[in-house]
Amino acid sequence: MKRFKHITYKIHLPCTVLDGAHQWRKRVAQFFILALTVVGCTDFVDVDPPKNNLVSETVFDNASTVESALSNLYFGMREEGIVSGTTGVTPVLGIYGDELDYYGFSADLIQLYQNDVPAANGITTNWWRQAYHLIYGANDIIRGVGESEALTISEKNRFIGQALFIRAYLHSQLVFAFGNIPYITSTNYLENGKVSRTPASEVYQNVITDLTESATALDGNDFTSTERVYADRDVAKALLARMYQYIEDWEMAESLASDLITSYGLEDDLDKVFVKASPETIWQLKADTEFPLNTLEGEQLIIKSIPGQSYALTDDFLMAFETNDLRRVYWVGSMSDLDNTIKLFFAQKYKADINESESLEYSILFRLAEQYLIRAEARAHLGNIAGSQSDLNVIRNRAGLPKSTANTKDELLDAILQERRIELFTEQGLRWFDLKRTGLANQTMSLMKSNWQATDVLMPIPESELEANPNLKPQNDGY
Amino acid sequence: MKKSPIRLGRDKLFLLLYILISPLLAQQMQAGNILEPPQSTISGTVTDSTGEPLAGVNIVVESTNRGTISDMDGTYNIQANPNDILVFSIVGFESLNVRMDGRSVINVQLEEDVTQLGEVVLNAGYYSVSEKERTGNIATIKAGIIEKQPVANPLAAMQGHLSGVNIVQDTGVPGGGFSIEIRGRNFLNGAANPLFIVDGVSFSSQSMGVARLSNQIVGGNISPLNAINPNDIESIEVLKDADATAIYGSRGANGVVLITTKKGKAGKTRFDAQLSTSLGQVSHFLDLMKTKEYLELRREGIINDGVDNLLGNPGLDFFWPDVTLWDQDRYTDWQKELIGGTAYRNNAQFSVSGGSERTQFLISGAYQKETTVFPGDFRYKGASLNSSLNHHSKDGKFSVNLTTSYTKEDNFLPSTDFSPKAYSLEPNAPALYDAEGNINWEGNTWENPMAALEEKYMVLSNTLISNAVVSYKVFNNLEFKSSMGFTSYRLDAQRAMPSSARNPQYGLTPQNYSYLMTNTSKRESWIVEPQLNWNKQWSPFSLDILLGATFQQETTEQLALRGRGFPNNELIFNIGAAENLDILSNADSEYNYNAVFGRVNLKFLDKYFINLTGRRDGSSRFGPGKQFGNFCAVGIAWLFSEEHFMGDGSVLSYGKLRTSYGTTGSDNIGDYRFLDTYSVTGNDYNGVTIIEPTGLFNPLFGWEENRKLEAALELGFFKDKLLLNASWYRNRSSNQLVGIPLAATTGFSELTGNFDAIVENTGFELDLRTVNIESKKFKWSTIINLTVPKNRLVDFDGLENSTFANRYIIGKPLSIVKLYHSLGVDPETGVYMFEDYNDDGNINSQEDKEWVEDLAPKFYGGLGNTLNFGNLTLDFFFQFKKQRTFNTLQFGVIPGRKGNIPMDLYDRWRQPGDITSFSRAYSGLVPTGGLDNFQQQSNASVSDASFVRLRNISLNYSIPKLQEGLDIDVYLQGQNLWTITGYKGPDPEQPTSTRLPSLRQITLGFQLSF
Repeated sequence: MKRFKHITYKIHLPCTVLDGAHQWRKRVAQFFILALTVVGCTDFVDVDPPKNNLVSETVFDNASTVESALSNLYFGMREEGIVSGTTGVTPVLGIYGDELDYYGFSADLIQLYQNDVPAANGITTNWWRQAYHLIYGANDIIRGVGESEALTISEKNRFIGQALFIRAYLHSQLVFAFGNIPYITSTNYLENGKVSRTPASEVYQNVITDLTESATALDGNDFTSTERVYADRDVAKALLARMYQYIEDWEMAESLASDLITSYGLEDDLDKVFVKASPETIWQLKADTEFPLNTLEGEQLIIKSIPGQSYALTDDFLMAFETNDLRRVYWVGSMSDLDNTIKLFFAQKYKADINESESLEYSILFRLAEQYLIRAEARAHLGNIAGSQSDLNVIRNRAGLPKSTANTKDELLDAILQERRIELFTEQGLRWFDLKRTGLANQTMSLMKSNWQATDVLMPIPESELEANPNLKPQNDGY
Repeated sequence: MKKSPIRLGRDKLFLLLYILISPLLAQQMQAGNILEPPQSTISGTVTDSTGEPLAGVNIVVESTNRGTISDMDGTYNIQANPNDILVFSIVGFESLNVRMDGRSVINVQLEEDVTQLGEVVLNAGYYSVSEKERTGNIATIKAGIIEKQPVANPLAAMQGHLSGVNIVQDTGVPGGGFSIEIRGRNFLNGAANPLFIVDGVSFSSQSMGVARLSNQIVGGNISPLNAINPNDIESIEVLKDADATAIYGSRGANGVVLITTKKGKAGKTRFDAQLSTSLGQVSHFLDLMKTKEYLELRREGIINDGVDNLLGNPGLDFFWPDVTLWDQDRYTDWQKELIGGTAYRNNAQFSVSGGSERTQFLISGAYQKETTVFPGDFRYKGASLNSSLNHHSKDGKFSVNLTTSYTKEDNFLPSTDFSPKAYSLEPNAPALYDAEGNINWEGNTWENPMAALEEKYMVLSNTLISNAVVSYKVFNNLEFKSSMGFTSYRLDAQRAMPSSARNPQYGLTPQNYSYLMTNTSKRESWIVEPQLNWNKQWSPFSLDILLGATFQQETTEQLALRGRGFPNNELIFNIGAAENLDILSNADSEYNYNAVFGRVNLKFLDKYFINLTGRRDGSSRFGPGKQFGNFCAVGIAWLFSEEHFMGDGSVLSYGKLRTSYGTTGSDNIGDYRFLDTYSVTGNDYNGVTIIEPTGLFNPLFGWEENRKLEAALELGFFKDKLLLNASWYRNRSSNQLVGIPLAATTGFSELTGNFDAIVENTGFELDLRTVNIESKKFKWSTIINLTVPKNRLVDFDGLENSTFANRYIIGKPLSIVKLYHSLGVDPETGVYMFEDYNDDGNINSQEDKEWVEDLAPKFYGGLGNTLNFGNLTLDFFFQFKKQRTFNTLQFGVIPGRKGNIPMDLYDRWRQPGDITSFSRAYSGLVPTGGLDNFQQQSNASVSDASFVRLRNISLNYSIPKLQEGLDIDVYLQGQNLWTITGYKGPDPEQPTSTRLPSLRQITLGFQLSF
């Protein structure tokens, strides 16, 4: 595609004049100008694209390169940022909330642990940047695949469905953490560089719209993966159920959770809930094929020695277990120092060491137990007490606990919240979001953390972002 | 966007064909020449005023422009018609025109030219111009001055010698770089590098170092210019104003540096050998605390913080081993131990040169080795071979010049500069080695700096610069010339970090820790510049026209890898033995550049000059439709001393007024910045290779523009014994290309674009050359240069809403820093206080950084004297600079913490009521609330760093001639010997706490030629 093939030099150098005193000289001069022109005009200054890069338009000419562009989004979510990774939501919201104590030395994490987060905090800033960088990737796929003439309809649905899901998912993570945020749906940097924040309620609506469209695009598509490491229709539904739960559309939440409950089953053996082949996993991010072969969550949370520990479960959380809860046995580990003077407990849902030479576990983002508890909550709100009790007891039963004694809506809601706390601990910050959406965050946290302020329910918008785009102002309260 | 490779091949082929046939075409056109008048042979001898024969004098027949050169004995033969005029000329003597009047033997005596003003020919790149007739601003430094300095980089030789050129050495470590700014910073994006042209070939001075490998030892800047041996340089010209730089168009905005290497001279074959040895040392050490004061402050801090009760707790010993575990009386001067060594440099250079009247050659080889002031056997080695060959045909119409230089550098250094450790290690830190000579870890209580000797950094580089110029005089006044050049620069760097360099308490093994980083880079470029040169005299007019084109291609490849997990540390340099390989960076780019340029120079009555230059440039760095740009300039000069009303010139011997105005540009932004690209990252997900978006599509940006205006007055008094050159300039840069910071919501952190901002550099430059005393036995001459620069951000639309809001202020220079305003130490509490500019009760935000300091020099320059007493020559050169910069607070601002600090801090606050400049002591165990470090970012941390430095002194003794043609010189040279400054840091010129300051060097050398 040569864009400017016939640029000819008009030798009208504004300051150069040619002498034309003698005809033959003129001819010689003309010859040279001709020579220069012939050599100069062929697109000498159009270069081939860089050999180690692809230009966007060629990416979308071919299904396998689109696959590569999509893989980047999964990889990005796994490695760092607001989803998984070393400073993903699991450890970070664990220490920000009431699940984990922090013993390490990272200044950024100490600020989060103390609920004293400056707007320039490295981790929250990275969450923001990484998420929007991946959102750009998703939007470019939606745009490029949409415009592509080389892809089949089914390929287009498969790619756009996944990209829409990822866009929705990342925005949902951002809105939980930061409150009002811009909802980005294009790749136009002129607009996106000057956007204002969208009210959280509208963000939820956009997420739901994208997810509904995603579920439709992925529906009937033969796209699935045996290891459940891609976002398929069920994954879109699982997030939709969570979204409806957050905006308290209980009918929709119940219906979507039911869909999933009919197609997936719980793993009976608590020891195997988090292995890579667990039947209750709806979506997980596959571990690296070289290193590490297991989850970064396990790497962060498992204490291998004292001293040297980073995260440990809080006393407050450990006391929340009912007696004889098998999850206390299977999902909580402990470690002591050499003198046996210190004993700490840690989350041991993931058990595989990062140096393990075999891949045993992947980072699970959605699993069926959450859907049972979403439906239990939805049914309680909808007045279906028996149905709610039944869902709740499925989870309690697996943990070796007796049936719940809760009989009224309010009792049930309390019991479900408690059950979610135990069942879903150190998973994707779900506990922290529960505290926020139920309005209990302020009350709970002020008892635990001396620095806590009511405005800490939202993270600060990164300082550098407010500078780069003043339309994002004002900063969240309290920062 | 795709382009078939065949097309490119065809372009090149065409070009080659064109170059080859052009002289043939010219040959054909020669047919039909005018009939020549009858010729006769004229011979004679040329002598100087003392009657000694003069070799190498140019003798030209004025009507035909044919010429010859006188032999060693001063004789010559030439064909000419009996009524012709012969012109005799040679540098250093006044030219002589002799009418033949039918004579066949003409002996002449040439008078020495005192100032040589008319004869000093300056290289202006595509053309040359005499000092007297130039219309532009061209500063120059010749071999004579360069040779007197024992330096390894051409930029080092220029330091302080040229007005308007500010050069700062990055580090005292061998193989490091220099930063250069010609007439100030023009661009917000920081790109200040001028265009370097070596023997007609553009040579990129951009470092190809990778930060993760070289940042901690040479500051990341591995200067490719290190490959150019200063001893091989004949002259360096710096083009500054529009008149001189506009012909370089888009690459001329930051000035142009032309480096010309030495060429052979006709005459006897000459052999030249030079040997020298230098000793180098850190010239100034910091005044740090001794053990007694240090521990006193440590304990005071522990008591102040109320944590002295914890001193007995062995669990906290790791926190304060200097107070609880280590010998309380031990003292080591770590500066002496770690950076106090002597760096030796040995230099050897040999050359052979000579040739006949028509063919001259020069071959020179040099070798140098330099060690470091650090412990350990580290060194830099460099070897270079330089050759040049000139030939012209018998009729003088055809000529060819070939120049090739090849340099190999081998630098072997520790991976980290020892200076930061030397400044901060506790004075009572343990012994480096135990009784058995093993590294002492003192029960794992410290990081032994000697372990770092295991961490090695190696760079190998190969540089080739070659150039061929072929020219053919189609007619006497029409010359076709084509310059072709090729450069190749390769760099192989390795940084090895074995586990054996780390404290064994971490349990690191070669398998889980050891890693090797490598950087393999290659940059190649070729350039072809066909040119036509035409001149014509119609008395009293004289016209010169130049027309040319440039084709240039530069390809850059870089691959940086990290290998982790080695079976053992012995195998660490074998990246094949690594278990995992990561790609740190991978670049592969192509830059194509294409231009036509021209010059029209008109002379009237040898006193009015007008010079028009222009260029149309095309660059592949811009998107479709933005690739081409036009640049041009006009320069005017009036040699008013030639006017009748100026009298006989007994006082004012030379006077010239000149002015120039024009535009230049810059495309200094990197390749492919307009494309929306995806890159392979080397990772995969579920076995699928990943590609990641790495750029936004942005075809909108175009050339940066720089408009230069200059006015100058040049005066010569008393037969040019005093020469004064004063110039004033104003350069305005607009359409600034910057990485515009983007909000992350765009998906990227920045985007290249043109910013509506104007940066102005104005300044005044003065150059003075005087011959103070001149007699047969004694000569004393002086050179002075002075630059008073001023930089200002004139305009910046939307500055307050950009991320530059906190960096720049409209109306202030780009070199400002915004700081807190320190209010000193609170006499009641002993903590630092700062002005709360925004009155929010907190000192924590950008809005409280409202104190502005400008770190650019207010003025700078140099003063040099040369004294000759017979065979003895003494040169000394002072460099001076008035500036403010970060002071010793950057080495520590909080007394009592672990790690040594400057002795000044001993005068800290002790009890309520104390009025001091330094806060109370802290233990470091209890958070201080954060304010204390702000002192380092406050106005208190900036102070005067003006200096006068004896940059160079050289004493040369020429041993009286033992035999004709045998010259033996012995010399003693010193670099950086003496500095007068009020600045307390290691080096006022390079105010950093993390890099080795520039060294003080003494050189003894010996030169023999015959």
